Amino acid sequence: MTYLVESVSVKMDYPHSDGVLKLYDDGVTLKVDQGDFVAVLGGSGWGKSTLVNVILGLEKPTTGSVYFGGEDVTRSSFVKRCALVRTAAVFQRPTAIPQLTVGQNLSLALSMAGVAKSERNERIGESLAFFGLEKITKSYPESLSAGQRKRIDLARALAVRPQLLVLDEPTGDLDSSAANLVMPLLRGLNRDHGMAILMTTALPRYAAAARQLVHLKPPGFITPSNRVDN
Amino acid sequence: MEKPSWAPFILSGAFPRELTDLLAILIIGIAGLEASLIQYNIAGLELGPLILFLSVPLTCALASLSNTGKKLREELALFAYGGSEWQVWTRYFLRGFTCSLIAVFPLFVEEIARTGSASALQTSLLILAAVAGGAFYSAPSLRRVRSVEFAENYKA
Repeated sequence: MTYLVESVSVKMDYPHSDGVLKLYDDGVTLKVDQGDFVAVLGGSGWGKSTLVNVILGLEKPTTGSVYFGGEDVTRSSFVKRCALVRTAAVFQRPTAIPQLTVGQNLSLALSMAGVAKSERNERIGESLAFFGLEKITKSYPESLSAGQRKRIDLARALAVRPQLLVLDEPTGDLDSSAANLVMPLLRGLNRDHGMAILMTTALPRYAAAARQLVHLKPPGFITPSNRVDN
Repeated sequence: MEKPSWAPFILSGAFPRELTDLLAILIIGIAGLEASLIQYNIAGLELGPLILFLSVPLTCALASLSNTGKKLREELALFAYGGSEWQVWTRYFLRGFTCSLIAVFPLFVEEIARTGSASALQTSLLILAAVAGGAFYSAPSLRRVRSVEFAENYKA
């Protein structure tokens, strides 16, 4: 069966000055199909963000493979993956071009995704309204709060209308009331628009929104001395 | 009683130690050299303007490195929007190319006004300066986005 995205036995080793940090000792295997909502649950420093980077092609796994639309993309870039499966990503750290207004940022993202100019304004208006951001279209990202910037990223991802939405701790910079608003929105996108969602979180109550759960294990650490012992 | 000292505070940061400091020193040095060699020429070519062209790539590199934090945020967003390495490189190459062209063009126009035409050498120098400006402006970005640490910036 061909999935939108699939990771098979992904492992990561991070060399440190005094040893090697080993993430996902058993290997992460996950499958996301059309309309799925998968949550990756793990503690701080367990490699949730690294897994997102590996899925998106921003970091290469030490071992294991990543497939997009059935094609092995383990060594391919994010652009190549987007060409196979229309993907939008929302990272833990808000990402917007500081010199452009919120509206211009969204317009640029849409033009890069190949959306026709005539359609862009409508999509921008819709997605900003969806997140209650219609009044800040002409504001610059750096003049906004962390929570507003996170919602801009979500609005940008939504405007692209991706098949697959990858989110790294989407509630991270939000206060609890804003976070409690985001989760139903994600469930709505998944249920009503059929958008496949792959999300990481450290909080089980947010992971409960997902239909599939992947548990990460704490990382191991190999120092030169315990390597000898082993 | 212990006496607080302000000297270590000032001296620990008073000496040039960054790449941008070195670039500033080189640019000022080139400007000084240009001023002192302006009346000389070799084989009919004025040395002053030739030396001035050396400052173009260095100034572009300095401009690119002087706001690294903002550039990094820009690069992170471009990749998140689905951009690729070559698109980021081209974006900054063109910015450096344009900066250099705007800066050097008045000299070129002055030469045409003075002599009535532009020589092939002057035209080549103008293009060479713009290309060098573009290459030096884009090099720090390309190095950054190709580094292993780049993706770490997406993590909080």
